[in-house]
Amino acid sequence: MSAWSTVHGIVARDLSRATRQTSRLLGGVARPFMWLLLVGTGYNTIARLESGLPYQAFVVPGIIVMAALFGGTLTAVSTVYDREFGMLRLMLASPAGLHAVLAGRAIAATLVGVFQGGIVLAFAPLVLHLGAERWLMGLAALAAVSAMSAMLGLLMAARIRSVENFAGIINVVLFPLLFLSGALYPTDGMPPGLRAVARANPVTYAVDLVRHALGQPAEVGSLTAAGVVLGVLVLAFVLAALLFDPEQRFFPRRPGAGAAVSSP
Amino acid sequence: MSSAIEAEGLGRDYGSVRALEGLELVVPHGSAVGLLGPNGAGKTTAMLLLATLLSPTRGSARVFGHDVVRDRRAVRRRLGLVFQETTVDGLLTVEENLLFAARLAGLGGRLARAAVSDAMGRAGLAQHARQPARELSGGWRRLADVVRATLHQPDLLILDEPTVGLDPEHRDAVWALLDAQRRTHGTTVLFSTHYLAEAEPADRVVLLARGRVVADDAPGALRAELGEEIAEIEGPGADRLARALRGLGAARVVLRTGRGIRAGITGQREPVVELAGGAPGIERFTLRPTTLEDVYFARTQSHADADVPEPV
Repeated sequence: MSAWSTVHGIVARDLSRATRQTSRLLGGVARPFMWLLLVGTGYNTIARLESGLPYQAFVVPGIIVMAALFGGTLTAVSTVYDREFGMLRLMLASPAGLHAVLAGRAIAATLVGVFQGGIVLAFAPLVLHLGAERWLMGLAALAAVSAMSAMLGLLMAARIRSVENFAGIINVVLFPLLFLSGALYPTDGMPPGLRAVARANPVTYAVDLVRHALGQPAEVGSLTAAGVVLGVLVLAFVLAALLFDPEQRFFPRRPGAGAAVSSP
Repeated sequence: MSSAIEAEGLGRDYGSVRALEGLELVVPHGSAVGLLGPNGAGKTTAMLLLATLLSPTRGSARVFGHDVVRDRRAVRRRLGLVFQETTVDGLLTVEENLLFAARLAGLGGRLARAAVSDAMGRAGLAQHARQPARELSGGWRRLADVVRATLHQPDLLILDEPTVGLDPEHRDAVWALLDAQRRTHGTTVLFSTHYLAEAEPADRVVLLARGRVVADDAPGALRAELGEEIAEIEGPGADRLARALRGLGAARVVLRTGRGIRAGITGQREPVVELAGGAPGIERFTLRPTTLEDVYFARTQSHADADVPEPV
């Protein structure tokens, strides 16, 4: 009961914050549509894909993942803001402890990712033939991808000390993850080195999971894609819990990087 | 009376820096104890250790019999915390902030809503319930922060400078709230402050300097050690007058402050006034009752660095 109340409190707060930061929320919704309409329409006329799909139809799963990745990750990374302004310490002082705090933050960030990706998914039937079953499978895949993105965001937030680093996260982490994932173009045409990086990129599997769900050809099997997405989700949770350990018992922080707070 | 806090040799290092040397502290249940000292003395570290938010480098501590390392959850259930920085989310309303805090403390559903409603009524916050916290003045935000810490009726409140930066009206409101909490629930209060007058009503004062306890007693007993009155002496002849007062046996303790000298006076005041009246080079001489600020100067100066003026 106590741990659930804590999770509930954190989810309710994070969602209230998300809905009140309207420019950020609208930006998160507008970004994928800009890619879908501007880039997708332009590439539609020049791209010839082996699968025979029109480019705009091919890119829909990638754009859904983009929305989930940015929504989930950036919402989770706002933990850095809470650390800087003391709110994280208040949360960690809760009797429910660190795992409930991480779970609450992850659920809230997942819901934001599902919301932002879900809007793209809602409009997907305009460029894809989607039955109700495929659409629901897409929603389930989106939930898994959003959860993974949320946990990756928390993992990043574990060691970032300042909100000013948010822009760096987008440019240095999120865009490379997206560009090397097969979200916007197939990875099988890439040079071998980049293709190997794409294979090691969890977002590649997230994109393929959504492709499978929406009935599109993908580069890896559906079970592999689902296994990697869920595996990364669990691994990121475990690593985040270790990295958030205030006493830095497992991954020591360099001296002078700031005092820590404790957790169970 | 049983103990709310028992600390034995509790200490914490940050790398090579010894933030807290070895705190010996027993706080009886229901009492109010002020933790005083200069910036960097170890007050916040001591509070974070007792609040289970930091692990000790050495020593141990128990809160209501629960070890602060091994039984963190049990300790946290009985704690209410107020940090130096205000932890109120400006994007949420006051009511939402309190509801969030109540849920963090483990209160669910109707219980959380009832606690929030009751607390807002007690603190006069009901009028601001639907207002975004960012629109509140610093005083109201801090009051909301203190109310937040009392929502689950904790047995122990740890407050790190709860009134810092507040005007007298809001400082008074914060202390009224804490007094009421103590009266109605018998809550033990451990607080730090730089407004030393706020520690005068406390049952006990623990003074820290450079990570060590340099005084631990009731405020009255600590004041009495310096003398009934303090002579504030300013001017080029201050040192000579202080020596004369010592020679007379009237000055128990003599301290140098930024503005001059403070001497703890004991015994008859007439000879002191007479001596000061005839002393050359004195620009100001005042006799006034001893305060905790004098105790602070006396105790922290004798444990200060060499570049801080030594007691005369």
